[in-house]
Amino acid sequence: MRSIDELFEKSSRSLAQRTSRRSLLATLGKLLTGAALIPLLPMDRSSRAEAAEPAEKGKGNAAADPQSCEYWKYCAIDGFLCSCCGGTSNSCPPGTSPSPITWIGTCHNPADDRDYIVSYNDCCGKVSCGNCECNRNEREKPMYRPSRNNDLNWCMANADSNYHCSVSVILGVAEK
Amino acid sequence: MNTLILPAAALCLATCTPLLAAAPLPAERLSVAPLPPNNPHRVYVVDDAFENEIDARVHLFDGDTYQRLGQIDAGFNPAFNLSPDAKTSIVGTTYFSRGSRGVRTDVVEFTDNSNLKVTHEIVLPSKRAMTLPTIFSLTYSADARFVYVSYITPAASFGVLDPAKSTVLAEIDTAGCVLVIPSGPNRVSSICESGRLLTVTLDAEGHEASRSMSEPFFNPDVDPIFAQGIPSNDGYTFLSFLGEVHQVNFSGAQPVFGTPWSLVSPAEKGHWRTGGTQVGAIQRKLDRLYVPMHVGGEGSHKDGGTEIWVFDLKTHQRVARWPLEHEKLAPVLAVQVSQDDAPLLFAATNHSDLAVFDAMTGRLRHVENKLGQTPWVLLTP
Repeated sequence: MRSIDELFEKSSRSLAQRTSRRSLLATLGKLLTGAALIPLLPMDRSSRAEAAEPAEKGKGNAAADPQSCEYWKYCAIDGFLCSCCGGTSNSCPPGTSPSPITWIGTCHNPADDRDYIVSYNDCCGKVSCGNCECNRNEREKPMYRPSRNNDLNWCMANADSNYHCSVSVILGVAEK
Repeated sequence: MNTLILPAAALCLATCTPLLAAAPLPAERLSVAPLPPNNPHRVYVVDDAFENEIDARVHLFDGDTYQRLGQIDAGFNPAFNLSPDAKTSIVGTTYFSRGSRGVRTDVVEFTDNSNLKVTHEIVLPSKRAMTLPTIFSLTYSADARFVYVSYITPAASFGVLDPAKSTVLAEIDTAGCVLVIPSGPNRVSSICESGRLLTVTLDAEGHEASRSMSEPFFNPDVDPIFAQGIPSNDGYTFLSFLGEVHQVNFSGAQPVFGTPWSLVSPAEKGHWRTGGTQVGAIQRKLDRLYVPMHVGGEGSHKDGGTEIWVFDLKTHQRVARWPLEHEKLAPVLAVQVSQDDAPLLFAATNHSDLAVFDAMTGRLRHVENKLGQTPWVLLTP
């Protein structure tokens, strides 16, 4: 929180940078919103996607296999799939810590033909998993738009900021 | 058995005796190999070691002898750059007190490029931008008086360091704009989400003297630029996802934006794209731009190039197109070119190979297989 206090203190200094500051605050707001939403939204384990996790594995439908880079929720993930590292597509492996800040993407689920807003959280505190590297970049943007960037180490604000792997967590259905 | 032993003994008499009679090898003296003198064909290969990311390193490779020259250790998720005279390497990195965990220490380390020894370091606040390496994560001012380091926590700012006194001079808030683009002895520009550049001018002590915001020079919603700029004769050139070329002149107090032009024809636009981790290189004497290109759609901006296209920056014409398929090269993620009169083009592939081309003709001179694990950025003096 110290960095956020400093941010607000510093960002109130110069009127000349009003536009950029506003966009920063908007971005930060999105990040905080994303982080805040995660505990509020129950993990929908009855959803088609979640139910599909163990059942579809190995059946050749990559878009339904959470251990495949082609899994629909991973449309802009960058890193090692936690589902190949002892976790699942929405849970961190044992002994790691989820990143409280993250970035947000929108992925299309072919199984129900809906677009979902997902948060890409990193799992932190151990060295990189090294298994199932996956880099997809649909609607991904460079780091000057951090709320859409997957190059940043989102473990940056964790007590242990080492990067281990990445998950993709459904936040809700995207409004059309 | 005797029938076997006799011929064997005869053979040994013919072949073993001279060996037995030769003088023994002299005793050896353990030493440290000297680093060959710096030269324009030395390339610094930044290897993020993504699969075990606390162990990144920078490999030095000679483009003439095709030999590895040595290594600079680079810790976790590093930034890397060279001093203006190329005599010093700087690594911005992070260490954890227990290897992969524990107390975080962010630091900039200085390495003497004549012997690859670390000479000194500057400990930073724990704010260093942890991201893919770019030359705008950590850089020198033009006169080497200052070193600038990008901070993202995710609040964005940058640090001003005194490399001579090993001190942090200042932290400057950038109002959400990111990275450190150096110009002149005391200016730092950052890229903003609005498509503008924020330029901060420093005083002699490294503190903020003034700041200004440019007009937007690209539209991040329609056609974002890659954040990594390519050093050119009067500033930096930025490429967009759809192939627009934004040449920005940083020689004055404020950046001046050239009229954008396109790498691709209308028929090629959206079909042929640039992509990778280092999407272009400029040979400044020739004013030539080298870009890895691939066929792909939205979201393919990190895919490697299957061809390298060469452009004349004065005429904006494509002067060569070098397909890589017949060279059996994997897609190219990063390119760099030497700045001498017989330039070499270096290309790192997504199979971790480093290809060395004649930058004038495109002739493939050498492929160094598996130069590191994830070689994502290349620098030349």
